[in-house]
Amino acid sequence: MKFQMSGCSHHTAAVDVRGRLAFDPQQARQALSDLRAKFPGAEAVVLSTCNRVEIYTAADTPAGMPSHQQVAEFLADFHGLRIADIFEDLFERTGEDVVRHLFHVAASLDSMVVGEPHIVAQIKQAYELSCERASNGPLTNQVFQAALRVAKRVANETALNEKRVSIPSIAVADFAAQIFERFDDKRVLVIGAGEMADETLRYLREEGARQVVVLNRNFARAEQLAAQWEGKAAPWSQLQQCLTEADLVVSTTAAGEPIVTMAQFAAIEAARFQRPLFILDLAVPRDFDPAISECLGVYLYSLDDLRAACDRNRQEREKQWPAALRIVDQETDRFMADLNHRATGPIIKRLKQGWGQVKEDELRRLHNKLPDLNPTDRAEIDQAFDRLINKLLHPPLESLRDESAHGIPHALLEAFKRLFQLKD
Amino acid sequence: MCFAASYTVALGLEVSRLLFRSRLRWALLLGSVGAGLLAHTLFLMHRAANGGSTPLSSEFDWYLVAAWVLAGTYLYLTIYHSGAAIGVFLLPLVLALVAMAEFFASQTPFPQSKASQTWGAIHGVFLMLATVAVLVGFVAGVMYLMQARRLKHKQLPAQGMRLPNLEWLQQLNTRAIVISAIMLLAGFLSGVILNLVNQRREIDHFPWTDPVVWTSALLLLWLVAAATFGVIYKPARQGRKVAYLTVATFLFLVLAIGLRMFLPSKHSAERDVTARNQQTQLQSVELQLACHGASARPGGLT
Repeated sequence: MKFQMSGCSHHTAAVDVRGRLAFDPQQARQALSDLRAKFPGAEAVVLSTCNRVEIYTAADTPAGMPSHQQVAEFLADFHGLRIADIFEDLFERTGEDVVRHLFHVAASLDSMVVGEPHIVAQIKQAYELSCERASNGPLTNQVFQAALRVAKRVANETALNEKRVSIPSIAVADFAAQIFERFDDKRVLVIGAGEMADETLRYLREEGARQVVVLNRNFARAEQLAAQWEGKAAPWSQLQQCLTEADLVVSTTAAGEPIVTMAQFAAIEAARFQRPLFILDLAVPRDFDPAISECLGVYLYSLDDLRAACDRNRQEREKQWPAALRIVDQETDRFMADLNHRATGPIIKRLKQGWGQVKEDELRRLHNKLPDLNPTDRAEIDQAFDRLINKLLHPPLESLRDESAHGIPHALLEAFKRLFQLKD
Repeated sequence: MCFAASYTVALGLEVSRLLFRSRLRWALLLGSVGAGLLAHTLFLMHRAANGGSTPLSSEFDWYLVAAWVLAGTYLYLTIYHSGAAIGVFLLPLVLALVAMAEFFASQTPFPQSKASQTWGAIHGVFLMLATVAVLVGFVAGVMYLMQARRLKHKQLPAQGMRLPNLEWLQQLNTRAIVISAIMLLAGFLSGVILNLVNQRREIDHFPWTDPVVWTSALLLLWLVAAATFGVIYKPARQGRKVAYLTVATFLFLVLAIGLRMFLPSKHSAERDVTARNQQTQLQSVELQLACHGASARPGGLT
């Protein structure tokens, strides 16, 4: 039984290389079919995300397994690239290291943003795709199902993916959602049309925000963003009125000085009757005068405030790292022990069959010699023979299990074959 | 009282949120509060069945029923906001009510005629519900102030100290003020009717200047003023102002209970006279039994 992984990740390859080697779902389907055709003795799973392109292969015998060179050639051919251009960016793992690596990846310990939760769904999709194309098999089934279990265990037993580390996600989940019970009845005002506003709106949308108003000096750009988020665009002249009506404000303009000063906000504050206002000032320099945060009911967060929260969460995640690693190591050892023990299965089966046959022959002979035995005595003798066989088999099978914890016990298996004359 | 032990275990589990993560805690928490509530219910049922009157027929029962309703409210809120540390604030109040029943409240039933029994029950139920509403409002107010302070200072929630969001806490605060005002009004009016009924039938009744009457009237006035303030002045419906109102209401309640306990009240005096009479009866029974070489069981008359 052999595992291999060849591919690249954000650790080994630049983003443009990863981009050239990436598979979209349709390409992944095709790649799996091609791999099956080219290496019929191997199982295969293709994992392709923004940060990694990895091809996992497994086979019962080394002969059926493609080499790292062959997988690299396959990758280059599939994407119409020269192998020399990508080979240096690829890395490989074999045997137990593949299992450990996949468990690391599934637990989001190998991600660019450690603890990000999307990787589990991506691994699941990759595995389901291989099932759909019938390129999976018993080995990949075992290792990918185990990887999903490991990811679940790490998520349950550590706080690795509890703390958010992106600015918009922290702003929405750790602050806005702590102010508002629901978002569908809240008015979201977006000032400016920056990239960060777009990302924040995505998170707000996930929380249920529906009423979006976009305000930009360039009205056409405001209309464009508003259309994207099924909101409304408003002219810049309505800034004060929009601020009076808003519950959440996301501001990302490129203005050189604050667009809302304390003096301007005083009039707005009076009209709001201290209704809570969440202001996310993502502009540099700031769009809102910091003094506004002192007003009653106003919760103003700047980029620096959120960055500090991000750093604190990142440190919290790092504290969870040893616990997560311990889980991965435990699960890898357990998986390998199970796998190795499974490899001894055929020998154990043959041994049990052989001894069982001897038992049956001897019992038949004994019953022929003692025909007057009543059924109770017969059953008693049968059970005694069964117990004898089980007791005799117990020590060698125990030794096999113990040895399996450290790898497939080839020497011991060979000894078993010779000692008990077990034929293939 | 074993249910108090269950609530203490639940409080310990709630506090442990601050120290470490556990997958088992949620189940243990629900289990201990559920077991506590069950034991609490059986205890109240037993008292009602053996006493032959309503569960609110004595000060002791009144506090225990209030603790029971508050514990039930906690169970509901903690299921609704499973991640929030509501129990850290609410369970000490449940335990405080149980402690009040155990150490400060009289177990002697309120003296009642048959006619005043209905009004007495109505009076007791509404005052008890008003008290629970004030306590829930107080907890919501404290949580609101803590949450608002954290958000103002741009701090992330501490380990295990996640609180409900401000909007929900504000709604709970507002509802607590309105409900407690309505309940207290109903309780006060039923108390007035009860006193008038007793007066007419020449059973023990209270003078209108009794501390119990005027402290209740003051608390009612405060609650009505707070609720009216919220209706008339728009900003009073928002944020910290509502939280301050509920916290102040709680302090008013504590003051009213304290005054009632320590000022000379006809209500307490009547009860004390009854208790003293019963104590004298017990002592005479003990004396008679001692004369006959037997011993009386302590607390046999209660």
